[in-house]
Amino acid sequence: MHKLSLTGLLTLLVLATAPLGANTPQDAQDVNLQDSNLNVNARYIIESISVAPEKQGAKLSAPLHMEIDQMVGQNLDHSLLESLGKKIKEELHVPDVNIRIAKGQMPERVVVTFETPQSQSSFDVNVGRFLYHSKQGWTGEGTVTYRHEGNDLSFGMISDGDRLAERYAGIQAGFERRKIGTERVGLRFRFLSYHQQWNNATLAAATPDQIYRTRQHFIPEMTVILATPLTWDFGVDFARYRIATPYPVALATSGARTESSNAVVSTLRYHQRWGSGSDPDQQELSASYGIRSATGVFESDAIFTRQLADAHYKYKHGHNTVKVGFLAGRITGDAPLYERFILGNAETLRGWNKFDYRPMGGSHMVHGSIDYSYSGFLVFYDTGALWDTKHDREQKQSLGVGFSEGGFEIAVAFPIRTGAANPVFYVGVNF
Amino acid sequence: MRTWWFVATFFCGVGMAMWAEELMLRAQENRLEFSAPQVHFITGRPKERLQNAAPVAFDMRVSLWAGNRNYVKSTLTARFVISYDLFEERYSVTKVSAPSRNANHMSAFEAEAWCLQQMSMDVTGVPADQPLWAKMEIRAEDEHGSSLFRGKLSENGISLTDYFVELFSGRPRPGQSHWEPEAGPVTLEQLRRGKR
Repeated sequence: MHKLSLTGLLTLLVLATAPLGANTPQDAQDVNLQDSNLNVNARYIIESISVAPEKQGAKLSAPLHMEIDQMVGQNLDHSLLESLGKKIKEELHVPDVNIRIAKGQMPERVVVTFETPQSQSSFDVNVGRFLYHSKQGWTGEGTVTYRHEGNDLSFGMISDGDRLAERYAGIQAGFERRKIGTERVGLRFRFLSYHQQWNNATLAAATPDQIYRTRQHFIPEMTVILATPLTWDFGVDFARYRIATPYPVALATSGARTESSNAVVSTLRYHQRWGSGSDPDQQELSASYGIRSATGVFESDAIFTRQLADAHYKYKHGHNTVKVGFLAGRITGDAPLYERFILGNAETLRGWNKFDYRPMGGSHMVHGSIDYSYSGFLVFYDTGALWDTKHDREQKQSLGVGFSEGGFEIAVAFPIRTGAANPVFYVGVNF
Repeated sequence: MRTWWFVATFFCGVGMAMWAEELMLRAQENRLEFSAPQVHFITGRPKERLQNAAPVAFDMRVSLWAGNRNYVKSTLTARFVISYDLFEERYSVTKVSAPSRNANHMSAFEAEAWCLQQMSMDVTGVPADQPLWAKMEIRAEDEHGSSLFRGKLSENGISLTDYFVELFSGRPRPGQSHWEPEAGPVTLEQLRRGKR
């Protein structure tokens, strides 16, 4: 269905790897400006670090505070300070963080101040995901966000053929206020409107009343920081979807019907990081457990409960990076297709085609993966199973190689099975 | 009255142009050397960053036209990284392009002059009576760097705001510090006689 466009791929690769310095009069040589031979101040020791105004400093998370404190007593390294500045900017949601360095009280000691100007608005354009998958085609997501005095207003467009059994395309709009009265409570509203395209394999496997043409969601949610870095999101997902097949009794008057799936949603998240950019060892752990329950209380047509747990651990030592991921999910009741689990895309069972494996997804899922990369060169192994009934349960495995750097990844993956193995190719950023 | 203002503005403009950034040439045997006493690139935002203990990279390109301005005879590019010692209050410069060189304990003027000295060109084979033009382009690398994804990839995705600014800028980015002093026409013969 989707043919690999060589030109598109090459363009993406060139964009991703080539510096755009053609207009600057410089040698091709790229230089690390933080090399101590290049910055005479690298020999000076950091005497103290502070965040100004102090009120802003108090808002930073404990791990980031620790990371900042660890810099005291070390040699001045502008790149590390810039990386810390970026983290402060992200945590405080400020438009910029200025780094001020001045002479300290003692000879050859410097004091560092992160200044957070309190600007009131900013505007940003983000590509959340961009992906080409040889079996599923293109996936892209872009969002425009306007921030004003702690309020985020966002509008985005998406076309995603990767994450679900369907390809969904449409708009996403949202409003978020990160602090409601207290620093620990935030509020957001999201509105999503998609129309669907279905693969023939899914159409063949599903019954006509499972196939919808459009769906809309309105999701009011609150976020509570229970104890950093543990947060809890809860709210309601009001969804309605239009099924092409009419009720038999309404056949004469209507060509379609609308159903609703109104679910209480609740997710517990944990995210912790140890070590900073300068440390030889860095670790990162993120985990979440989410439950979505649609009941008659909200007049939902679909009645189900969906639980999903995931955990990802990353360990980096020098050029070596190991990532381990685990996913497990279970649905009881009768959930719409977009709630069902999928394996065999660019994130799970890489190498398998979800439409060959289970084109309708499954109500139970277990998945594990391990990735190892050295200087960006990547090898990975995925294993998992997706089933509705115990008889369907069958473990699948895949292997792949590729290149991964920053948010960019390109890989070829193979399903481990007897008979012909059709490799899957994918390339993308931030998926 | 209006005419008087017009004439005054015109002469002010001419005066300013005469004082504008100038490139000075000097022929030393088979090398063409450059200086620009009126051009100060350790100034403004780059100077603020330097005095804030951050190293700043400057990219330089010198272009030489011979005979006419339709044909660039040769170009030379180099990258310099300057840093400012917070305690000694002196500048240090490293030429990172091959052949790499380094100079320390300099004032801002000395550091600027040192960079330009490193840009001398071999003019062997250029007829002594051929008119020459030279242009020195100097750009300070701004805080955003130059690679597509550098500093733009976050947990939320890639920020395109900066990317578009860079992508469509054939000229220096708005706010990027740059200087382009020029010289010529002048012949090697004139330069050897002592005329610039």
